Amino acid sequence: MDLTLLWLGLLETLKLSILSILISLVLGTVIGIMRAAPLRPVAVFAEGYVVFFRNIPLLIILFFILNGLPASPLAIRLGFFETGLVGLAVYTAAYVAEVVRAGLESLSRGQLEAARSLGMSWALTMRYVLLPQAFAAIIPPLGSVFVALTKNTALASTVAVPELLYQSKIVEARTFNPNVLLITGLMYLIITIPLGVLVNHLEARFSVARFGQR
Amino acid sequence: MATLAALRAAPRVRGVRLSSRQQSLLGVAILLVLLPIAFRMDPRNFAIFTEVAIWQFIGAGVLTVLVVSTVAIVASLPIAAVLALGRLSTQPWLRYPAIAVVEGIRAVPLLLLIFYVFLSMPRDVPFGLGRETIALTLALMVYTSTINAETLRAGILALDRGQMEAARSLGLSHWQAMRYVIFPQTFRGTLPSLLAQFTTLVKDTSLGSQISMVELLQRGVIIYQGFHNPMETLYVIGLLYFALNFALEQASLATQRGGPQRERG
Repeated sequence: MDLTLLWLGLLETLKLSILSILISLVLGTVIGIMRAAPLRPVAVFAEGYVVFFRNIPLLIILFFILNGLPASPLAIRLGFFETGLVGLAVYTAAYVAEVVRAGLESLSRGQLEAARSLGMSWALTMRYVLLPQAFAAIIPPLGSVFVALTKNTALASTVAVPELLYQSKIVEARTFNPNVLLITGLMYLIITIPLGVLVNHLEARFSVARFGQR
Repeated sequence: MATLAALRAAPRVRGVRLSSRQQSLLGVAILLVLLPIAFRMDPRNFAIFTEVAIWQFIGAGVLTVLVVSTVAIVASLPIAAVLALGRLSTQPWLRYPAIAVVEGIRAVPLLLLIFYVFLSMPRDVPFGLGRETIALTLALMVYTSTINAETLRAGILALDRGQMEAARSLGLSHWQAMRYVIFPQTFRGTLPSLLAQFTTLVKDTSLGSQISMVELLQRGVIIYQGFHNPMETLYVIGLLYFALNFALEQASLATQRGGPQRERG
């Protein structure tokens, strides 16, 4: 069986996963911080973002970007890869934001109060006191969000991104052998297993940084 | 006096406290107002959603979503229980296959599983149902049972060891203890997580559209291909999924609050 297409697909999936992890991490952190903001409307908006995007299917977001946006008077046309990337990032950011908020909430209130009473602004407190501690605590749940994201990149095949599942369907259509999908399944492990190892490594490393006394 | 009254009144005015549910709904409402403005949706394109026929068409999709996800979750529970017990078994010939099934299926994308089941199914299916409906339900059932198996396993492990020890010292066998002592308690403890899985399932039924099943999302696609209003239709369909899930989540929270709160070991 010709596996060239599958390897090409794996590379595309890898590219899509890494880029959407980065974008959703940034976007999700911003929204997570917004949820903890002292400004009420900002917090409520961020809350709405998280609740809404966690409760609708990713496919709707992808179709909205692919078919909806060009129909808008703004005529926003994204390429297939960008469609997949933006859709995955917007969807996953809601999950990241939820994890970031939980991390911030797990910190003692005294952290915020102490930093504020030292005269640090809310933004400085967030940047130098709260976020570093929150991130050390949320590495494991963040890791599972990103493993889920990697699996969700398969949905990008529906918007014609030539990633792993897309290529497997081409191979399947040529060979009439659904078992090619079993090989595809194993290929996803090539990404998700190292990701899990990386998360464990980061967890070990940052738990030392958090509690170590230097 | 007036100052005093103002001081007293002040906290009350500031303290318009919203419950967390109201706050979420308010946030979603803000988002739902902002989205049409940001993307310049055309109010005229919403006109078709005043017609009964459109809602009958969409309503059938909502029904499909609910039926498929209910069947999948109910059918997943016995399989999940078997997998969880298998994984906790002391017998290697039970434990390793259970681990392989659970971890293997959880590691692949659900869409891949759906395609695999759909493509390897026989041409003729019973009950006069569509192949795609059966394939989707089966795939969702298998996938959900592996996730629920992990939830149940965690629930069993969370129970006090003394429960099993006490049951065994009363003369119950391992399986009797599981059946009459451990499992009833596990189900009570894990019910909220099992119900939360329902929300995921409702979203995942939308993948059925990829194997040519006419469920809720596909009905939306059919509508916007006919009326050329993709943004507005997807907005309405998205809202429906949200409403379904929000209702389910509230039901799940209600079981958490109102569920039996008996003492556990």
